[in-house]
Amino acid sequence: MRVTRRDLLRLGGAGAAGALLSACAGPGATPVNTRPTIPPADGPITLTYWSWLKDLQKVCDVWNAQNPHIRVEASWIPGGNDGGYQKMYSALAAGGGPDIGQVEMRTVPEFVLVDGLVDLRRYGVDQYADRFNETLWQQVSFVGGVYGIPQDSGPLALYYRPDLFQAAGAEVPATWEEWNETARRMRATDVYLECLDLSDTSWFAALAQQAGARWLRVEGEEWVIHMTDDATLQVARHFDRAIDEDLITTAYGQFSTPWYAAASAGQIASAAQASWGDALLQSVTSGAGQWRVAPLPTWGSGGYASTFLGGSTAAVLANSKHPQEAMEFAIWMTTSQEGIDAMIANSGIGWSPSRDYIGQSRLGGADFFGGQSYNTEVFEPAAQPEAQNPDWSWWPITQQSFNILSDGFRQKVSGGTLVDAIATAENAIVKAFTNKGLSIRKAEA
Amino acid sequence: MSATEQSTAPAATSGRRRRGSQLTAAPWLLLAPFLLFFVLTFVLPILVAVGQSFTRVTRSGVFGEQGVTSEFAWFANYAQALENGNFIDSIIRMLLFGVVQVTVMIALSTVLALLLESASARWPGFFRAVYFLPYGIPGVIATILWSFLYVPGLSPVIDAAEVVGIELDFLGAGTVLWSIANIVTWTYAGYNMMIIVAQLKAIPTEVYEAAKVDGAGPLRVAASIQLPLIRPALVLTTVFSIIGTLQLFAEPQVLSTVAPDVDSEYTPNLSAYTTAFAYNDYNVAAAQAVLIALVAFALSFLFLRLTNRRS
Amino acid sequence: MSAATVTDSVASGGRNRRPGQSAGRSILVTAILLLVALYFLVPVYWVVVAATKTTEDLFATNGFWFGQTFALFANVREVVAYDGGIFLRWFANSVLYSGVGALLATYFAAAGGYALSRYQFRGRNLVFGTILGGVLVPGTATALPMFLLFSELGLANTYWSVLIPSVVSPFGLFLCRIYADASVSPSLLEAARLDGASELRIFHTVGLRILTPALVTVFLFQLVGIWNNYFLPLVMLADQDLYPITLGLNNWRSQTDRLPEFYELTTGGVLLSVIPLAIAMIVLQRFWRGGLTEGAVK
Repeated sequence: MRVTRRDLLRLGGAGAAGALLSACAGPGATPVNTRPTIPPADGPITLTYWSWLKDLQKVCDVWNAQNPHIRVEASWIPGGNDGGYQKMYSALAAGGGPDIGQVEMRTVPEFVLVDGLVDLRRYGVDQYADRFNETLWQQVSFVGGVYGIPQDSGPLALYYRPDLFQAAGAEVPATWEEWNETARRMRATDVYLECLDLSDTSWFAALAQQAGARWLRVEGEEWVIHMTDDATLQVARHFDRAIDEDLITTAYGQFSTPWYAAASAGQIASAAQASWGDALLQSVTSGAGQWRVAPLPTWGSGGYASTFLGGSTAAVLANSKHPQEAMEFAIWMTTSQEGIDAMIANSGIGWSPSRDYIGQSRLGGADFFGGQSYNTEVFEPAAQPEAQNPDWSWWPITQQSFNILSDGFRQKVSGGTLVDAIATAENAIVKAFTNKGLSIRKAEA
Repeated sequence: MSATEQSTAPAATSGRRRRGSQLTAAPWLLLAPFLLFFVLTFVLPILVAVGQSFTRVTRSGVFGEQGVTSEFAWFANYAQALENGNFIDSIIRMLLFGVVQVTVMIALSTVLALLLESASARWPGFFRAVYFLPYGIPGVIATILWSFLYVPGLSPVIDAAEVVGIELDFLGAGTVLWSIANIVTWTYAGYNMMIIVAQLKAIPTEVYEAAKVDGAGPLRVAASIQLPLIRPALVLTTVFSIIGTLQLFAEPQVLSTVAPDVDSEYTPNLSAYTTAFAYNDYNVAAAQAVLIALVAFALSFLFLRLTNRRS
Repeated sequence: MSAATVTDSVASGGRNRRPGQSAGRSILVTAILLLVALYFLVPVYWVVVAATKTTEDLFATNGFWFGQTFALFANVREVVAYDGGIFLRWFANSVLYSGVGALLATYFAAAGGYALSRYQFRGRNLVFGTILGGVLVPGTATALPMFLLFSELGLANTYWSVLIPSVVSPFGLFLCRIYADASVSPSLLEAARLDGASELRIFHTVGLRILTPALVTVFLFQLVGIWNNYFLPLVMLADQDLYPITLGLNNWRSQTDRLPEFYELTTGGVLLSVIPLAIAMIVLQRFWRGGLTEGAVK
C-alpha cells in the first residue's frame, strides 16, 4: 500500500476543515446575530440554564410555578474557568449547549468573540435597560449590542476585625495612604492587615478600576489599550511598596484554604472584598460577631469610592432555540422582587444589579456582623453609579490578559516589580490580540 | 459447522484453496476492530491536529463580527507556540522534573522490589499490596488527598513539623514542583515495583543457587545478577515514566487552586489545554499537542538508543 | 542498631545459613519496608480520619486524630444523597467506562496481537510499526484533536466519547503479540487447521485460551487506566450525568473555595471511592504478573 504525500495532505486538510467548521466561530458559518430572529414559541417549552450557583433550580421553580408553558431547568457546572466555560465552549462547538449560561461580566466579550452569545437588543432588551444599574449595563454593552443580563455583582468594601484593630491601636483607613500606616501597626502585633495573591490579578484590576483606570476601549474599528496610565501605576506602586515593606502577605489569596486557617487563628485583620464575601466570611471558624464592614479606602483625586469585583450575567447562548423566552426569564430573575429574594435565599447570589431593590433579607442588621446593617450602610452606596468607574469595559481576551499579567506579577517574588510587570504585560496583550487576528493599538501617552 | 465432515477426501483440494484465501483474509479480519478504532482515535486525531496546526484564523471587526476567515499558515502557529515563554518553560520544567522524579522513582521501585524478593523480608505479600494500592487511586484523587497534607492550616504534617521548629512550605515557588513529584512517585512507585518484581520472579532459581555456591552476598547478587537481568523491566518502566511525565496534567491542575505558583501553563499539557479551552485558540493548541508528541517521541527514542548502545 | 547490623551482614557475606545474622537482617529489611508502607498509607489514613469530621473540625482539630464529633455516617449519607444520588451515578459510570472499555480493549488487542504474531501478510510490519508508534504518543496529545473530530461526528459529550477511545490499547496489542510469539506454537494451530476449524474459530478456541495470562494483565492494565483517566473525560464531557468519579469528585473539590460545606462531601467521596479500589488492588495484585514481563524480556 502506497500513500502519497499528497494523499496525506489532502486527508489532513479535510479533517481540519471539518473540525473547523464545527467550531462555532468557524469560517463559513453564519454568525448568530445576522440570522433571522426566532419568534416566540407557540406551545410549552423547556429552557436549560447552566450555572454554578447552588440550588438555582429552586429559583427556577418559583418561575415555573407561574409560567408552566416556559419551564426552566437549572444544571450545575463548575465555576467559570474551573471548567464551566470549557463546557460551554465545547457544547457550542458541538452545536448544542444550554439556552442560558452563567457568564461572568469579564468573560462576556470572550463569548462574543467566538460568536457564542445572542445580541439581546434584537429581542427588545432595551425596554428593560432602566431597571438595571447603569455601570453594569454598560459592562454588558458592546458595539451596539447587549450580550447578557447582569445577574449579580460585587461592590467592594473593607471587612475588618475591630478587636485586632484595637489591639494594634489602629484606625480603619479611609484612604490607601492611611492603609499603609494601619498595616504597619498590624505588623507590630504580628498580624497581617491584608493578603495579595499574585496569581489572581482580578483583585488588582478591580482596584485599578477604582483608581480610574480604563485598560481597553473600542475606537472605531479597533481596540485601544492603555494599561500604563497614572491610575494603574499608582495602584502598582502602592502594592510594590507594601510587599517590599512586608505590609501585606503574598503567601495566599483571600478565601483560600490557608486564608481561612489564618483568619481563624486571628492572623489576618481585614479583607478588601466584594459584597458576596459576607457569606464566605461566615465559614471562618468561630468568626461570628468578630467582623464589621467599612467603606473601601480610596485613592484620592481622580478615583472612585468603590469598584466592582466579580459579577456575572445570565447570557443567552448562540444555539438557543428560544432566545426571547430565555431573555424574559432572565429579566424576571434579576429584576423582580421575588426573583431577587429567591436568588438570595437559595443561591446566596451576589449584589443585585437591580436599580431599586437590594433584596428583603439585606435590609436589616446581621448577627454575624454584630448587628451592623452593613448592606444598606456600606454596600448600597458603594454600588451607586457615582461610586463606580463608568468607563471600564472588558475585552475579548480578558482571561489570557489576566494570566499574562499574573505571570509578570509572580516575578515579584524574584525581584521584579508590579510596575514593570504592567508595562511588559501591555506589550504581550497587544501581541495576543494580533495573534487572534484582531486589530489593536496602544494609546498615545 | 462440523470440522470432521469437511476433512473428507473429496473436499480436500477445494478446502485447501479456501484455506489459502482464508489465510490472507483472517489476519485482517482479526485486526479489523482494533484498526478501526485505532484509526478513529489515533490516526485521524493526529491528522486533524496536524491540519489544524497549519491553519490560522483572522477576523475583521472588533469581535470578528464582520467576517472570519481561515487560511494556510505554514509554521506561524508553531512559531507562536515556541515564542510563548511559558510553554517553553513548562517543557524545561518537565525535563527537570523527569530527570529527578523518574530517577528517584525507578530507584525506589527497584530497591523495594529487591527487598521484597530478598529472603529477609517478612510479609512480602502484605507490603506488596500496600505499595501497589496507590496505583488504583486516580491522579486527581491522589492530588486531592495530598493537597490536604500540603495546605497550611489543614496539614497535620506542617503542624507536626512546627512543633519541632521546622517550617515547611510544600506549595512555595521552589517546592511545589517536588510536591507534585512526590504525588507522582507515591502513585506509581508501587506499580513500577510490581513490573520489576514480576521480572525478578522470572529469574530461574539455578542462577541463585550458583551464586550461593560462589559465596556471593545479597548485595553482590543484586548488583551482578538481579540488576542486569531486570534491565528490560527497568527500560520499560522508564520509557513509560518519561511519557507519563510529559502528560502531567491532573496533579498541577488540581494543585493550582492552592498553590499560587502553579499557573495555567505549568506543564506542556496544561498549556495546550488552556490555549484551547480558555483562550479558544485550537490552532495553536494543536501545534502545541504536536510538539508535545514530538518531544515524547524524541526522548523515548533517545533513551532506548542510549540503553541499547550500552548493552 | 542499624550500623552494626549492616556492617555485620555485609561482612558475613550474606550467607543465609547463619540464623543470628539472618534474623538481624530480616528485622532491618522489614523495618525499612514498614517505614515505606507508612509513607504509602499516610494519605489514606488521613482521609479516613477526615471523613469522620465536620468542616469545622477539619480546620480546628489535628488532622491525624479524630475530632470532637464523629460525623462519618452523616457525611457518607450526605455524599450518597447529594443532588439526587449523583455520586452513585458517577461511580456507576466509572464502572461502565472501565469495565466495558477494558473488556473490549482486551479482546481487540488479543485478536490484533495474535494476528500480527501468527500470520505472515503484506503490510504486517507497517501495521505493527504504526501501532507501536501509538504506544509512544501521549494520550493527552490526541485528546484535543479527538474532541474536535468527535464534535464533528456528534459524539462529543456522550458515553461513546469516552468509551470509544477506551477500547484501543496499543500497549495491550504489543503485549499480546509478544506473548503470542512466545507461547502459541504454530504446530498447535496447524493441528487445528487440519481438523478443519476456521481461522476465526481457531483464534477463539485455541488462541484466546493460551493468551489468557497476558489477557488478564492487559485487562487489568486497561481497567485501571480508564478508571484513572481524567483528561479525556474532562475534554469530552459537559454533562454531569456522564461524569466518571474522577471528574465528579474534582467538581466538588473545586467548589470548596466558595462553599466550604463541600469539604465534607469531598473527603467523604474520596474515602468512598478509595475503599473499593483499595480492595480491588489488594485482590488483583496477585494476578498482575502474567504476560507483562514475559513480553518485555524477549
